Amino acid sequence: MTAAERPVSTALLAPDRSNGAALRASMAYMVAGLGTVLLMGLLGLLMRLDQAGMLVISPAWFYRVMTLHGSGMIAAVLLAALGGIAAAVSATTPLSARALWIALVVYMTGNGFVIFATLVGGFGGGWTVLYPLPEHGIVWTLQAALAIYAGYFFVALGLLLFCVHILFAMRRAHGSLAKALAWRFLFSLGRDKRDALPRPVELIAVVIAIDGIAAAGAGLIYLVPLFAQASGAITTVDALFAKNFVLLFGHTIANLSIYITAGLVYAALPAYTGRAWPTSWPVAAAWNLIIPLMLLNYSHHLYADFAQPVGLQLLGEIGSYAVALPSFIVTIIGALALIYRSGIRWTVAPILFALGLWGWVFGGLGALLDATIPVNQVMHNTLWVPAHFHTYFVLGALAFALAYLWSILDALSGSSERRGTRAAAWLYGIGGAGFILMFFVSGANSVPRRFAVHLPEWQVYARIAVPFVLLLALSLAWLSWDLSTRFGSAWRATRRPVVGP
Amino acid sequence: MNPHTVFLVLIVLGAVWTACWAAVLVSSRRTVPFERLEKSETRIRITLLAGFALVAIVLFAVTLRWLPFRESRVAKMGAPHTIVTVTGMQWSWALSTRQLPVGVPIEFAVSSRDVNHDFALYDAHGRLLAQVQGMPGYTNHLVYVFPAVGEYTVRCLEYCGLGHHTMSATITVTDR
Repeated sequence: MTAAERPVSTALLAPDRSNGAALRASMAYMVAGLGTVLLMGLLGLLMRLDQAGMLVISPAWFYRVMTLHGSGMIAAVLLAALGGIAAAVSATTPLSARALWIALVVYMTGNGFVIFATLVGGFGGGWTVLYPLPEHGIVWTLQAALAIYAGYFFVALGLLLFCVHILFAMRRAHGSLAKALAWRFLFSLGRDKRDALPRPVELIAVVIAIDGIAAAGAGLIYLVPLFAQASGAITTVDALFAKNFVLLFGHTIANLSIYITAGLVYAALPAYTGRAWPTSWPVAAAWNLIIPLMLLNYSHHLYADFAQPVGLQLLGEIGSYAVALPSFIVTIIGALALIYRSGIRWTVAPILFALGLWGWVFGGLGALLDATIPVNQVMHNTLWVPAHFHTYFVLGALAFALAYLWSILDALSGSSERRGTRAAAWLYGIGGAGFILMFFVSGANSVPRRFAVHLPEWQVYARIAVPFVLLLALSLAWLSWDLSTRFGSAWRATRRPVVGP
Repeated sequence: MNPHTVFLVLIVLGAVWTACWAAVLVSSRRTVPFERLEKSETRIRITLLAGFALVAIVLFAVTLRWLPFRESRVAKMGAPHTIVTVTGMQWSWALSTRQLPVGVPIEFAVSSRDVNHDFALYDAHGRLLAQVQGMPGYTNHLVYVFPAVGEYTVRCLEYCGLGHHTMSATITVTDR
């Protein structure tokens, strides 16, 4: 039987009675995340129209929209990713639906504060909330800055609760975190197989939970002094200290999204190719290496801060190169090997997974170039930076998250696939590629990022990008509509046992 | 480093990657047992790991020769001929002088009076030449040799609030 004839396995995707409640909570994360992505995407379109000179908005509104778009997208993609990994893990590891819902409510409270700070409070300090700008806004108040700090506090707290729960659940399921990380197998170079190995997605869940806790901790270390200063307990905060911690927080949560959603590829792609993707020694080694490496590469955003110790600068470059190796050699090559001559049927989910693989690598290439210190001198803070992270957000993490949500809803609802939706998935790739390519072209032509007003000679790049953004928006809207038609029956299906083939 | 060269490198590497990716997708129409591929997969992984590690080491070594930090540039270009004090503030630049000589090392001592800024030098063709952060409480030193006479534009590349995009200044570079 070829993969084309083989039914999609529901064994890893669908629930039995034990995980239906956790799966519903996970689906709520994914739907809330992807719904927010749609809204934030419209704000992105608005900004690109403004930069093209096709729809002029005031700089005050542009920067408020920019702040909401950036913080909203980072939070939304991470939320969808967290929901995906919880759903994937819950198929074999019991998770507490209550814990997931509590973390979601806390996280969404943070999002509420961010929306309030920007739309009502007029805050336009950028998603990086780089100290001391939030307190020197001139056009917004200290209260608006405190509201955005509160928003970030609750988002970090929600992430922390989620990650702590994942670690407890994995420890309970495997006996210890060392076993959940396959350490005996790893350090014996694959010879000692006495412990039952975790599935790759379980191992990845532990990895990202550890880094998620580190990221949330960095966020709290950043925020506590700022609250202390606002209350008058301290007079000033060191700008370089603050910058290191806000980037360790922000850059790591942006990275988490792509690494979490890479875990979803391990969870779902084998079901479409009909080939197993077990926890081999390279998989265990790569993902254990990612724990420290993901925390090192943030400092490539501080190369222009010459006051930063040179050792940390060089560590940023080494960390950026190093983290790419296990990701590419093990995950990307592993996924391509799974697809190669597999007879896979190109339905919506595999199309989106394949697009995600392309975008992750292409965006990674742009990131690696920018992480090379002499290159960074002439590329950083131009549109090259949004180019690389939009590539592995739109055509990486988001594509993977959409693919995984599709897998779940498809398996649960049992609805047949529409041909138009497959076309929409490919068009999503074309729209996304054109959109990000114009960011790269703009960066190569030294167009600054975060400019409300573009010079006439810069506007041409945004004008070329606009039709691609529209194509991206329309294809995403089509995919979302099709997903929404499956959601009700899929939700109900979580309340009854589903038997895998 | 020319930004267009960087873009060309991205396009070449991206095209190679896209070709490999597309070949795998097209290949999927046929089937072979996965067991037959596993040895090749391991060989490809080891080859790529060795190749990429080598490239990373070479790139890092090149980086060490081209660091933009003060000591590295002074060692390469010589002691600064002129020191320019630069202070960033919402939303303008204060420079101790805006007339500078061509072909000699100039040191910009950049700080900020309020929030983080980024002192970025653009040539007359709109190309970004060099940048350094202006941070409250710190002074960062950028050493740069202007290659030609003419007008250069200073822009702020670190988002600094409502007037960020208006924060610019002009430097005139002349023969000594």
